[in-house]
Amino acid sequence: MSLQILINALVNAALIAPPAMAFSLLFGILRFPNFAIGGYITVGAFAAYTLNVPLGLPLPLATAGAMAFTGLVVWLAHVLVFKPMEGQSAVTLLVVSIAVTLILESVIRLFYSADVRGFDIPLQRPYRIGEMRITKEQIEIIVLAVAMGTGLHLLLRYTRIGRAMRAVADNPMLASIRGVDAARVTTFTTVLCGAIFGLTGVFAGLDLVIEPLVGWNLTIPIFAAAILGGIGSPYGAILGAIVLGLAEELTILVLPSTYKIGVGFVIIAVLLLVRPQGLFGTVEIKK
Amino acid sequence: MPEPILSVAGLRSGYGRTVICDDISLSVAAGRITCIIGPNGAGKSTLLKTIAGVIRPMAGSVRVGGVEIAGELAAQVARSGMAYVPQEANIFRALTTHENLAMGGWIDESRTKDARDKVYAMFPDLAPLAKVPAGNLSGGQRQMVAFGMALMLEPRVLLLDEPSAGLSPLMVAQMFETVRRVNSEGVAILMVEQNAVQGLKSAHEGIVMASGRIVLQKPAKDLLTSADVSELYLGSRT
Repeated sequence: MSLQILINALVNAALIAPPAMAFSLLFGILRFPNFAIGGYITVGAFAAYTLNVPLGLPLPLATAGAMAFTGLVVWLAHVLVFKPMEGQSAVTLLVVSIAVTLILESVIRLFYSADVRGFDIPLQRPYRIGEMRITKEQIEIIVLAVAMGTGLHLLLRYTRIGRAMRAVADNPMLASIRGVDAARVTTFTTVLCGAIFGLTGVFAGLDLVIEPLVGWNLTIPIFAAAILGGIGSPYGAILGAIVLGLAEELTILVLPSTYKIGVGFVIIAVLLLVRPQGLFGTVEIKK
Repeated sequence: MPEPILSVAGLRSGYGRTVICDDISLSVAAGRITCIIGPNGAGKSTLLKTIAGVIRPMAGSVRVGGVEIAGELAAQVARSGMAYVPQEANIFRALTTHENLAMGGWIDESRTKDARDKVYAMFPDLAPLAKVPAGNLSGGQRQMVAFGMALMLEPRVLLLDEPSAGLSPLMVAQMFETVRRVNSEGVAILMVEQNAVQGLKSAHEGIVMASGRIVLQKPAKDLLTSADVSELYLGSRT
């Protein structure tokens, strides 16, 4: 196995890990697999593109703006779509979340067409270390993903709101009995996760291309990483993303790269058969 | 009898349109233990959930220290000086013992450190388990965490839903000893208990519920010696 495969796997994992953590956090709080994440990521990519290319803002500022805008969109989707449907089954909400993705993508297609776009950043040769090559953007993605993972860890472990997020995800009724305002925790979580999806949109624009399906194409790998790590476990999602990234890159050694996306489906299928609770999930025993 | 710290009058509640308990009136005096017994399906747990704000009442009044709280959400009821320990799912499994206790003091974290020290003093077995996720503890240890969490804000009234459920006979004895110890510090306790004999032995007052209504309210020792109650709810004679 060449070092290049490891680097590619790391970049893949860095692209998938933050949204997989956010997906798990959202699942913990809202109790359904939210497939609208594809649409949210696409919104993030196009928001950053709009700020960076037509409006001419530098990419770091455009990224911050895209994170804030996507946070707002995710919060609005929660308030206007998912909150009014509280009490519906997880399957119903899952289907509705797919509809939200389709609506967001259609709106983007209406304004931006289906053309492929990119950020206004100077073209640079990749860095070479022996046989290994890595671009400046890929290094930025890895560094930012590690910073995001560390930041989330610190937030969840050492802050009051982080403890409340874990408590509401663990036992929402008891959290309420102990005086936690679950609605405020949900609002904070949706905006935070929205910002992470916005950042993922920027990552996707840097490593892939910006087009209306950019988020949808990442949805299955993100979902696979989240259930690989144990759905609802943000830390497991990081490990799930690393395993998935490596598995996808190793697939290229034996199959054409077009089959890469199938790896996520295979992992989901195998896990559901062998260990449905994922690597870090726990089995819930019902009395 | 001292002034009631908890007064319930004409309470009706249930799920959806189904009425589970109706016309419930009771009071718990400061520093006293009241035990509610009755057959399965009598509405005992539903009553406790309604008082705690987990279920919204359809009618009636709930007062803590003279302040009306009926219809308030559980998160607001938690600020009234009353703490509720549910029968099941009464801990945060993924949080450590230390973090669980901190969640008990969520409303006023300025008191958390002192309150946590008091809880560890009351349950010395919990101190070495401070960093252990509560989901990994034994049934008795979990019940201590649940109890400790409820005591973090030094409540005036404690609502306990079947505190002895699922515990070994030795742990049941320890649990009722804990109930009496907490009460001896002035905390009024309203508890629902399937273990009617042990529950009534620990209590000052007893209430018998059946089919969603209160059918008897007497001093606990009178219920323990009542032939009817003994035959119906206490199994063999005490």
